[in-house]
Amino acid sequence: MLKIENLHVRVDGKAILKGINLHVRAGEVHAIMGPNGSGKSTLSNVIAGRDGYEVSEGSIRFKGKDLLGMAPEERAWEGVFLAFQYPVEIPGVNNTYLLKAGVNARRRHLGLPELDAMDFMQRVKEKAKLVELDPSFLSRGVNEGFSGGEKKRNEIFQMAVLEPELALLDETDSGLDIDALRVVAGGVNRLRSPERAIVMVTHYQRLLDYIQPDIVHVLVDGRILKSGDKALALELEARGYDWVREEAGA
Amino acid sequence: MSLSIEQLRAQARDAFARHGVPTRRLEHWKYTDVKRALAPLADNLLELPSDPMPVDALGDELSIAGLDAWRIVIADGVVLSLPDDPPQGVHVASLAGQLHAQPEQGVAALHFDEQAPLFNGLVALNAALAGDGIVIRLEDGVRLDKPLYLLHLSRGKAVHIRHRIQLGRHAEATVIEHYAGMDAGLSNVISRLHLAEGARLHHVRVQQEAVGRTHIGRVEAELERHSQFVSHSVALGASLSRVDIVAELRGPGADCRLDGLYLTNGRQHADHHTVIAHRAPHCRSREMYRGVLDGRSRAVFNGRVVVHEGAVKTDSAQSNANLLLSGRAEVDTKPELEIYNDDVKCAHGATIGQLDENQLFYLKSRGLAHEEARQLLTFAFADEVLTGIAVPALRRHIEHAAFSKLPHGEDIEGMLAGHDGTGEMA
Repeated sequence: MLKIENLHVRVDGKAILKGINLHVRAGEVHAIMGPNGSGKSTLSNVIAGRDGYEVSEGSIRFKGKDLLGMAPEERAWEGVFLAFQYPVEIPGVNNTYLLKAGVNARRRHLGLPELDAMDFMQRVKEKAKLVELDPSFLSRGVNEGFSGGEKKRNEIFQMAVLEPELALLDETDSGLDIDALRVVAGGVNRLRSPERAIVMVTHYQRLLDYIQPDIVHVLVDGRILKSGDKALALELEARGYDWVREEAGA
Repeated sequence: MSLSIEQLRAQARDAFARHGVPTRRLEHWKYTDVKRALAPLADNLLELPSDPMPVDALGDELSIAGLDAWRIVIADGVVLSLPDDPPQGVHVASLAGQLHAQPEQGVAALHFDEQAPLFNGLVALNAALAGDGIVIRLEDGVRLDKPLYLLHLSRGKAVHIRHRIQLGRHAEATVIEHYAGMDAGLSNVISRLHLAEGARLHHVRVQQEAVGRTHIGRVEAELERHSQFVSHSVALGASLSRVDIVAELRGPGADCRLDGLYLTNGRQHADHHTVIAHRAPHCRSREMYRGVLDGRSRAVFNGRVVVHEGAVKTDSAQSNANLLLSGRAEVDTKPELEIYNDDVKCAHGATIGQLDENQLFYLKSRGLAHEEARQLLTFAFADEVLTGIAVPALRRHIEHAAFSKLPHGEDIEGMLAGHDGTGEMA
């Protein structure tokens, strides 16, 4: 589903990603772990299409299509979703309208009829329950006045409503207390499906206690130095990242 | 000392002769060339207005749709009719009627003070020529059950109107002044408001005059102890508009909120000058003005807050934010704080800018097309000023007018279909 080949990315002229290779198949859950500054957020931002990143080499293909040639909204229509590390507040733009516009823009792109208000609200209410989102949040401005935990919960709620094929979770666990983490992880787990791939970017392995990955990658200094199963995450938790660096001779 | 109407008019003519139409040499008119805008009228500014125009069905056509209100139509500065059966304790009269029946009340309504903040020649001109307007008084404790809606239809070359609104102790009212001038010319309107102890007034100006017209507005509000004044000034129309709002917080615990929105395009020019004078302790003022400018339009915001010596524990915050949609639009914004005691909390800020890139990316990552995301953010920016408008039909009307002024606004309006101002889906 997602094929990243030899991806090199620069920010302000500085090389951040130095040859990333990553293959994610439908139905898989990947975790990308790494210390601060290793390039984790750069990777998810580049996949989602944020400005300010210069791809100097390599490719990203999604369902066989060249993702790098698409505008951010086209990526969303194709089924890419980014749960932001720092969701922005947008006062005055109602959470529910945003989602309705997003869902229907994608449906138009796919040649499907738009959802009417009733069907849409039905879906919204179901999904809000999934992440135990207070219904009053639906009619508020996007993330307006939300606590850190509420913003993260809202991201997963949006993901549930938009039903992406590829979900990127950027440090979704940061800023969550243990109860909120459990709820958010429960929401993500219920969205696991054979048609959907999930890529989690995280600093800590804590999230992986709740969302079990199929494959764990270690991203250090802009390269994936090691990949393995869930046991790798536990080893990173116990031993840190330096041994991976040494082992790779980096 | 009480003046006769003739004496007052003569004084006003003298004052106008001395001050004249403001020129750009005056500090508070530096950016607004009203003299040039009024040049076609210059020679006959002191002539009395002509007969009122026939209104026919226009009043209904231009009224705010679905608004349940006490409606009064003022055509070319003449009050056409008054409510037949106003609620008990509500006294509504026309200024023309009062000048005839109770001249001393009429003279009081036309009062002008050359020492008042932002006084200028056009205030004197209004006092010299205004022949009509609404004079309304609410007795103590009276709450107006629905808004008083003043619809101003103007076609005349020069229209001068004077309103006076007095709320008794703990009285409450919402007053909407709607300006729908149709031809080139001058509208010059002054509203004098008085809020007795504990009174609450929501005063909304919606200026939608035709392009070609010059709109000069002035609101003077006096707030006694624990009264609450909320003002919205929305400037959408006219080629040149200038609105001065002066709030005098005279009694302890008075609370005032001045909010405003200006949307300009083409070569429109919209100017707001506000003064909030804290004269008593424990008063609070909030001010939020926002503007969206397109084309080669120009806007001016000047917000002055004066905290006088005895006004301890003053709490004041002011903000002005502007969004420029075009590289050729221009804003001059100037917050002015004057504080004469130490025991106050005051904040102010002004911004001029473009849309926030992070917000744009967020919306696009959720599937909104670039233009759609831009329009939605632009509308949301403007709409925040309207959150304090609790009359749904009024808010809808302003939102609709705003949509039709924004580039491709009708697309967004369709997208937000079901929006009723409360954030509920239809």
